[in-house]
Amino acid sequence: MRRVRVRALGALALAGALVAGLAGCGGGSDNGEVTLTYGIWAKDAGTQNLMKSLGAEFTKTHPNVHVKVQSTPFAQYFTKLQTAAGGGSAPDVFWMNGPNFKLYASNGMLQPLSSDTMNPGNYPSTLVKLYTYNGKRYGVPKDFDTIGLWYNKKMFDAAGVKYPDAKWTWSDMQAAAKKLTNKAKGQYGIAAAENDQQNFYNTILQAGGNVISADGKKSGYDDPKSVQGIKLWTDLIKNGYSPTYSEMSDTQPVQMFQSGKVAMFYDGSWDATTFNQAGLKDTIDVAPLPAGPAGKAVVLHGLSNAVYAKGQHTKQAEEFVKFLGSKKAADMTAKEGSVLPAYNGTQQQWVKSMPQWNLQVFIDQLAVTRPYPVSKNTAAWTKYQDEILGQAWDQKISAQQACTQLAQKMNEALAKEK
Amino acid sequence: MPDSTAVAEAPAVTRPGAAPAARRTRKPGHLPVHLILLIGALLMVLPFVWELVTSLKTYHEAISVPPTLWPHEFAWSNYSKVLGQIPFGSMFLNSVLLTLGRTAGQLVTCSLAGYVFARLRFPGRGILFAAYLSVLMIPGQLLLIPQYDIMQGLHWLNSIQAVVVPGMFSAFGTFLLRQFFLSMPDEIEEAARLDGAGPVRVFWNVMLPLARPGLVALGLITMLWSWNDLLWPLIVNTDTDKMPLSAGLATLQGQYSTDFGVLMAGALMASAPMIIAFVFLQRHFIKGIALSAGKG
Amino acid sequence: MVSQVRGMRKRRAGVRSAPAYRGDKRWAYLLLLPSFAGLVLFYLWPAVKTLYLSFTNVGPFGGSTWTGLSNYTALVHDDKFVRSMVNTVLYAGVVVVVGIPLAIAIAALLNTSGLRGKTFYRTLYFLPVVTMPAAVGMVWQWLYNGDYGLINYLLSVVGIGGPRWLTTAPLALFAIAVVGIWMGLGNNIIILLAGLQGIPKELYEAADVDGASRFTQFRKITVPMLSPSIFFVTVLSVINTLQVFDLLFLMMSKTNPALPETETIVYLFYERAFVDNQRGAAAAVSFVLFVLMLIITAVQFRLQRKWVHYA
Repeated sequence: MRRVRVRALGALALAGALVAGLAGCGGGSDNGEVTLTYGIWAKDAGTQNLMKSLGAEFTKTHPNVHVKVQSTPFAQYFTKLQTAAGGGSAPDVFWMNGPNFKLYASNGMLQPLSSDTMNPGNYPSTLVKLYTYNGKRYGVPKDFDTIGLWYNKKMFDAAGVKYPDAKWTWSDMQAAAKKLTNKAKGQYGIAAAENDQQNFYNTILQAGGNVISADGKKSGYDDPKSVQGIKLWTDLIKNGYSPTYSEMSDTQPVQMFQSGKVAMFYDGSWDATTFNQAGLKDTIDVAPLPAGPAGKAVVLHGLSNAVYAKGQHTKQAEEFVKFLGSKKAADMTAKEGSVLPAYNGTQQQWVKSMPQWNLQVFIDQLAVTRPYPVSKNTAAWTKYQDEILGQAWDQKISAQQACTQLAQKMNEALAKEK
Repeated sequence: MPDSTAVAEAPAVTRPGAAPAARRTRKPGHLPVHLILLIGALLMVLPFVWELVTSLKTYHEAISVPPTLWPHEFAWSNYSKVLGQIPFGSMFLNSVLLTLGRTAGQLVTCSLAGYVFARLRFPGRGILFAAYLSVLMIPGQLLLIPQYDIMQGLHWLNSIQAVVVPGMFSAFGTFLLRQFFLSMPDEIEEAARLDGAGPVRVFWNVMLPLARPGLVALGLITMLWSWNDLLWPLIVNTDTDKMPLSAGLATLQGQYSTDFGVLMAGALMASAPMIIAFVFLQRHFIKGIALSAGKG
Repeated sequence: MVSQVRGMRKRRAGVRSAPAYRGDKRWAYLLLLPSFAGLVLFYLWPAVKTLYLSFTNVGPFGGSTWTGLSNYTALVHDDKFVRSMVNTVLYAGVVVVVGIPLAIAIAALLNTSGLRGKTFYRTLYFLPVVTMPAAVGMVWQWLYNGDYGLINYLLSVVGIGGPRWLTTAPLALFAIAVVGIWMGLGNNIIILLAGLQGIPKELYEAADVDGASRFTQFRKITVPMLSPSIFFVTVLSVINTLQVFDLLFLMMSKTNPALPETETIVYLFYERAFVDNQRGAAAAVSFVLFVLMLIITAVQFRLQRKWVHYA
């Protein structure tokens, strides 16, 4: 009987230990040492390693503070962050983007930053403004990205078309797209992807329209000029100079550009390293975006590092974001090459890292940048933007119809923001 | 099994005249059967073959038109590129821990519960068992939101226990093993009881060894489901270092890479362990599926 | 008195149940505890909680307010939801109606007495079952690709210009259903094969004597005798296909124009719950799916009386 009981207890203990042991893995200890978690979404291993070395660099000057990088795929990053922030378990420091910023700031999730932590003079003012809410600053600009017209030199040569330059306008681009299209070879002049930051946010501004009013309260899609900025893209598809919407969702436009299926592609500075690794060094180059009826314009977006207001170690976290916003950190970022650091004057290293291309255009265009369109709950209307404009891209409805519908839905969503 | 014995017996049938005739018609009769089965089998494996072929192509060859049916040069580097684009090593380890943890957990909890329901009598048994049966009916995603909240409340998000612990319990496994314990003859248990054995000793010494086929079946099915599970890990473990391979693979495709050679290499590497396990333990796998079907 | 009650219990429980012994009760609860605790915490409680959530509106950073039936009434007017219901039922229908007869046919062929290479075939047909669905989705997306895919290349060899399988509206659902059938075939074959092997050989021998053709034998003997197994795989397939998620998640990108005509209920649920953060609305979606599954399964059990033949 005794033996039996011992065995039974043993079995139960085993089950218990299994549960307890697993549970134990999650705990942490505290002995004066502080471990900050740093939430990021990393495009590749290179970025992730950079963030880790930034953390290590910070520990050199703050020996008691360690940084643990937590990388989440972008597709899940903000959903995850939102529930974690609400539940009190968000990372101490995390990447923040424009569309989500106001939602977090207005709900008290972000720690306001002192001017000691963040000196606004160090960064492009458009970016500083993007992360300001009710006069308070909540994020240290980390990087920025502008958009350029990437083009395939070989395809231009073959079709006898002059390379794009700073003087190009929409009609130059359209004419080139026409000449570069060769249906028999399955080649297209341009990929008119349904991308907001890369494509239509820019062309809406270039046409003189806007996505959202300056006060962030009204949709700009019912402005006929905005419609023009949409129509530019849907017409490129209609005229057959771009792959269809369905083709572009079957094979990603960036891939079509890389494989020489399309000759032109509006894309951000962030893809430079990708193109470099794909062996396109001598095949492609980049030019400024062509000007529209209202002249030149490019939306500027960049990420920032924000401090979680309900975190356990906000003081140390502020120290860390201060470091992340420093010149030292910017230099390390520029060297790695994935993104353009936001710290003024540190971008040259990035330009030099891929000397074969005219990367200077991304920096020169800072002169014509405009803020990225956001509101308090940006995701509430960008959802409709993707859905409704998708139908126009798919040629199911006209650009005009899409914009009318979208303006209405967007205004409804904006009205719900308080 | 039964059919192979039937073949062996066929010539022994003592019906002179009938047997050779049957053999004559049967032989050519198999040819169309083989033909159909072979075409079907080819369609079943073609995706795997293409996966393998693509995994060895360079980026440019993978997207060349028309596709090459055999790689010009073998791009073995695709396999090492997978390791560079996702933390494959830690994801693999997570998958192993997830699978072992869930399987071990289910074998313990389900065999205990299955035994209790099958062989012990106690007040409330009917109601408790009904609770298990009702869980069998509930589709998994119905539970996801509260389960996620529990994980968050425990601060378990992005941890190995988040993907293991909820999977250590199973109404299905309990039900399956209960059927096994039910089918065991009372005499064995009574004999042990007469020797003074308590319920635990009966369970450990008498029932468990007899239930081995059931345990193997449950263990293999749980292994398979755990290794391949996507939705739950995708939700709770979003930190790439904490993901199992299934979620890692979805991530690899989602944003990191558009290089199909690398994607195929990743897909192959992630599914290989279960395919290898199946090839070696084929008989048990198939028995497991058939058993769980028969009992369910 | 005690022993009398015990004896009655024993009789009521029937032959298969063991008699009760002194002290078993405590052990019963103790041994059941780990399993039951897990069941309550991770299954029963969440089910109740989801039902509750479906009547609330959950805020972006948590906190829920009671909104009564509004999540459910919103679903009635929600085009996306209605379409996802139609898509799901259509998908399940195609996979079951095509997949199960196919499995029966292959199982019957594999059951041919004296056939060589059974293990070989069985292995190949079963291979997709053990393959990670995430990998399967990826491979098939590649096969279906309109620019570089193998399928359209093979079609072009025989002079057919293949469509864009995954981005053309009604087609995508069927293209994915093909993958669903491919993945589930092996499983169904194994279960059906087990059923086939339980059919007494004498029945066929008697039919041979009566001069019945193989097809007649299949129709008059195999199908009725196999009907319990067929019923079982049908119920199982329906339950599984109604919850399809992995394949869609892997094969249909968010910008796919065919997505509205392909999106299933679980996909919509995932999107609402874990992308849009509308937990209350998502809970309502999952409850409707649960009810739909209960109804369809109940109908199947009712209909089985008409065609399932239990020996």
